[in-house]
Amino acid sequence: MDGQKARADYDVFEVFVQKTQADFHVHVGSVVAPSPDVALMTARENFLRREKAVNLWIVPRGEIHATPYDEPDWFAREMDRKYREVGGYSENGRLWKMYRERALHLEDIVRDLEETPGRGEGGEEG
Amino acid sequence: MNVESADQARQDPEYRKALVELLYQLADDELCLGHRDSEWLGVAPDIEGDVAFSSIAQDEVGHAVFHLERLHELGEPDPDFLAFSRGPTERRNAVLVERPNGDWAQTILRHFLYDVFDDVRAESLLASSYRPLAQGMAKIRREEYYHLLHLKMWVIRLAQGGGEARRRLEQALAEVWPEVGGLFSWGEGEAELLRHGLIQCRSDELMHRWAERVKPIFREAELLWPGLPPQPELQGRSGEHTQDLAELIRTMSEVYSSDPAARW
Amino acid sequence: MNQKERHTRFMERVERGEKIEATDWMPEEYRKLLLKLIHMHGVSEIMGAFPEKEWVPKAPTLKRKLGIMAKVQDEVGHGQLLLRVAEDLAAPLGKTREDLIEDLIEGRVKFHNVFHMESPTWADAGVIGWLVDGAAIINQAALLNTSYGPYARVLKRICAEESFHMQHGENIILALAGGTKMQRRMLQEAVNRWWESLLFFFGPVEVTPAARRMLDYKIRRKTNEELRQQFLNKYVPRIRSLGLTIPDPDLFYDEREGKWHYTPPDWDKFGEIVKHNRGPKSEERLRLRRFAHEEQRWVREAMVRSRELQTV
Repeated sequence: MDGQKARADYDVFEVFVQKTQADFHVHVGSVVAPSPDVALMTARENFLRREKAVNLWIVPRGEIHATPYDEPDWFAREMDRKYREVGGYSENGRLWKMYRERALHLEDIVRDLEETPGRGEGGEEG
Repeated sequence: MNVESADQARQDPEYRKALVELLYQLADDELCLGHRDSEWLGVAPDIEGDVAFSSIAQDEVGHAVFHLERLHELGEPDPDFLAFSRGPTERRNAVLVERPNGDWAQTILRHFLYDVFDDVRAESLLASSYRPLAQGMAKIRREEYYHLLHLKMWVIRLAQGGGEARRRLEQALAEVWPEVGGLFSWGEGEAELLRHGLIQCRSDELMHRWAERVKPIFREAELLWPGLPPQPELQGRSGEHTQDLAELIRTMSEVYSSDPAARW
Repeated sequence: MNQKERHTRFMERVERGEKIEATDWMPEEYRKLLLKLIHMHGVSEIMGAFPEKEWVPKAPTLKRKLGIMAKVQDEVGHGQLLLRVAEDLAAPLGKTREDLIEDLIEGRVKFHNVFHMESPTWADAGVIGWLVDGAAIINQAALLNTSYGPYARVLKRICAEESFHMQHGENIILALAGGTKMQRRMLQEAVNRWWESLLFFFGPVEVTPAARRMLDYKIRRKTNEELRQQFLNKYVPRIRSLGLTIPDPDLFYDEREGKWHYTPPDWDKFGEIVKHNRGPKSEERLRLRRFAHEEQRWVREAMVRSRELQTV
């Protein structure tokens, strides 16, 4: 600021952590660093001293483009959109009862698939 | 040939003796350097780097703890006693790592040279006849990966940065080089260590492997390779140390020895 | 939209409990109050590393050595998180990390009174980890629902790590309390040394105009005295349960009023210390920060110069 000393300002990098490869990268904060390689190096210890991760992204602050916070209408959803949600079809349970059946949910299918071993994954895992 | 456990090692007094000697070298190197690293806590050149460097310090002390626990299993006193109560002549670390940090350039350069050595040594111990050590080394090496990446980055950046940083780095090189050679020694019991298959690689071979790893990075950093490190004046592996180690131990054990009977 | 309408709209958002973000329009007063608070919070974490740092090389067991290293590292890490928030607030004023640290060295920003004080024994490291951190945790937990989003987010992370610090501090204290006569004496003396600083830590009883504004903006939700009472509630019984005495003969809990009465700390003495960096350790610790920042500028300059050569 006084113009006498040489400035040694670092750049801001946003940090994104991917916890497992089944997850997306999640923004966790930012570091200042002289360059991207250093940012990656310091981000590990500034954000992952305890948590596990499989991948890190750092992105120069200037490369982030965002919607404004103080324009909430950006995300306005005022009309009823039950038609696109599970909750919009709760009558299925009652209707299936007439046929002596239960409504089928995605969770049931996923659970059943997990519980039955597939032939394709036999062998290696024992 | 392989020894699978501490109990088994204790059945052969000669084997145990050689193994204990080796473990002290490993433990004392890591403890000294980890302690020196921790002196940077709160005063590194930037805050993000401060946090990152402290993790390296913790890793080194953590590795020392691993070796001290192995010693305890072999019938040596408990790890805290070994860390805090042994005098300088009982310590087996290389003199290089007991020296004060100096400035950031010297800290970085010494650490880099040590880490490459540590990795080469760890690699050579993967085939050690003492399996608990070999298995531990595999884990330790995985943690050292980040250290090497980190330290290599720093050496190259300080060198490329030119100006004062480069001048200081070159000065650090001149200062640490005479003592680097002490790292490679396996101590007076090298022949025994080889005979028992505890180590697979003689000290001169260790130094050559190390040099082949360091040279390319010196080239990248455009640092002049000073030739293989000379034999150091003091043999840390034989318990010869400087006043710096005596002071380090005094500081480290100040509270511990204020009442050795107390639990802290 | 004119300034007044913007202000009204801003206050409506705050009243509704919405979070404000760095890129949002905000009243200058809001920015300045926040910046002052978070800047001070951040540099206090950085300076707060020093009293315990003195004990890092001397920690009496390997477990303690690793524990205190990790703990002090976390403090520096918290400083990093908070400074990043402060830097984004200061950016429109043309200030960066470099400037915020210089403000500290030049005495333009204060740091918490506790970190100006001496920590002459291992028990002080314990009491800092237990009671000073305890006080800080109450302070920080009370800020979790602050109106400023970036601050709320880093506080969430900080508080999560503080839960480790609490256990770390208590573990040191419990070892000392259950230890030898010498250890117990050391612990009692440390409690005596820190008590007054701990009361001062929360700030004056009266709600100053600036504190009032922070409450209006919902930057803070609780007054200093409310937090101090919380601290006394939580910690006085624990201190006493260890058989330790609190160096205040007038300290008592008034059931009827539902509050603690205590001998007030010497407000003037601590005010002087904080305002002018005139505590017993202020100079020494600022010297450490000056070393880190100014005397190692050459490192950061080299890093900045060499970035052009990097290809990632």
